[in-house]
Amino acid sequence: MQPLANITPLKPAGAIEVRNVGQIFKTTTQDVVALDNVSLDVKPGRFVVLVGPSGCGKSTLLMMMAGLRQQTSGTITISGAPIPEPDPNRVGVVFQEASLFPWLTAEENVEFPLALRRVKKDERRAKAQDALKLVGLDGFGKRHPHELSGGMKQRVSIARGLVQDPPVLLMDEPFAALDEQTRMTMGDELLRIWAATGKTVVFVTHSLTEAVYLADEVIVMSPRPGRIVDHLQVSLPRPRTYEMLSGDAFGSLRDRIWRHIRKSA
Amino acid sequence: MQSGLGVKAARVAIVVALFAIWEILSRTGIVNPRLLPSASDTLVTLGDLLQRASVRKDLVVTASEVATAFALAVPVGALIGFLIAENRYFAEVAKPLLFFAFSIPKSIFLPMFILVFGVGFSQKVGFGFFSTIFIVIMSTTTAVESVKVEHLTVARSYGATPMQTAFRVYLPSMLPVLLEALRISMIFNLTGVILAEMYASRDGIGHQIATWGENFQMKQLLAGVVMIAVIAIAFNELVRWVETRCSHWRT
Ligand SMILES: Nc1ncnc2c1ncn2[C@@H]1O[C@H](COP(=O)(O)OP(=O)(O)OP(=O)(O)O)[C@@H](O)[C@H]1O
Ligand SMILES: [Mg+2]
Repeated sequence: MQPLANITPLKPAGAIEVRNVGQIFKTTTQDVVALDNVSLDVKPGRFVVLVGPSGCGKSTLLMMMAGLRQQTSGTITISGAPIPEPDPNRVGVVFQEASLFPWLTAEENVEFPLALRRVKKDERRAKAQDALKLVGLDGFGKRHPHELSGGMKQRVSIARGLVQDPPVLLMDEPFAALDEQTRMTMGDELLRIWAATGKTVVFVTHSLTEAVYLADEVIVMSPRPGRIVDHLQVSLPRPRTYEMLSGDAFGSLRDRIWRHIRKSA
Repeated sequence: MQSGLGVKAARVAIVVALFAIWEILSRTGIVNPRLLPSASDTLVTLGDLLQRASVRKDLVVTASEVATAFALAVPVGALIGFLIAENRYFAEVAKPLLFFAFSIPKSIFLPMFILVFGVGFSQKVGFGFFSTIFIVIMSTTTAVESVKVEHLTVARSYGATPMQTAFRVYLPSMLPVLLEALRISMIFNLTGVILAEMYASRDGIGHQIATWGENFQMKQLLAGVVMIAVIAIAFNELVRWVETRCSHWRT
């Protein structure tokens, strides 16, 4: 990845800075405080997982990092600059299931972000092929989403998020709809892709096992209004293996997160 | 929709059987042939009618009324439907009213169309338009609502302009529903125009059919029925064929 030295050498490409961020939703009946004074720093190339009870504002935080929604207070910078609107060159987003366009083939879906910027057909195709190869879907480009399994669809979504090579990848419960076995495999696949590309990843999940298995750091949030209640460093060696799941280090990390979640239930 | 050869054969067999029963009922005199001319006689009459300049002229008149009414009702209805679907306030106000309007049988307004337009081209087009526009509005609203929020968010997160969102997300999402709407609208449209012709008109195939009926010209009447049925089915099947070609868009 090329260093974006022209922005500022102190905050290199892929750094995320969230400072005192609040989000209030004004509805007709009341004001909902979704996030309250959230601050966090993500260093480039880190794999950070967000966990917390349903409705605590994980998706909202991710949307703001993607420039899809503006915070009510505080600042967010990606690679050193604020993100007032979506910027696919800085941030790729992978959504939960069903975000692929069913009328496009896998490769057309991956090309979609490039097509929006009027990249030439040949270049588009080539980049889509590379991205599909990276996610292990070489040769499946001509299929429509309904001809792919759930896991394969999410691979296509990841390829679409990576096709413009943004330094940051935001993922909102990307594997939530998958069965457990596929989910484990996809976790390993994601770690492989992450190691190969060096992206900064912010990943939202409800699975504590998945959180510890994937993360360098786990950020635990409280119920609404969402605040950060813990920030764990996961120092398990990489590559992560299935055997680690039953180890003591893994268990104590997962227990620590669980105690926070239980307290809030 | 893939149906096996057997199913297709069975369908053809049923149609053939219906015509055969029709033929037999008439030929054996079980039903008075003056009331029900035989199928073969009817088809021969149909052939004769299609040779006649006056009938051809009637067909052209009806076709142009149908086409005009359709060409007006579809874009106008689609635009109104789109505006309603995209504006929450508008939708809340207008939707129940549309359902009220839709539930009223349109035929009771026929006399008013004659009062307003007189008997002629615009009366039929007006009534065809009126019969069609409500279903177009409602279908378009449904079509817009069938656009998935997730897809719009994806487009937005990759920086799509409003134009790109319209053509790359809205249009393809809506197309299957719109095609079906087009098909059903045409049924309403055809019904409206022909009804208007049968009710009060000087020309058009609907008027011919009404006249044949009044004069007990059963052969011509039945031939006219077959003719309109074939035209309607042909249009319907054409659109359905296009629909099945993009059926995987639905998933
Ligand atoms: N557009 C909105 N208008 C009003 N309230 C909203 C809106 N979007 C989200 N909220 C509220 O903000 C809170 C946070 O929502 P968010 O979707 O970020 O939670 P989440 O942590 O992602 O939950 P989940 O784990 O269920 O996905 C919720 O209480 C939700 O009801
Ligand atoms: Mg969420």
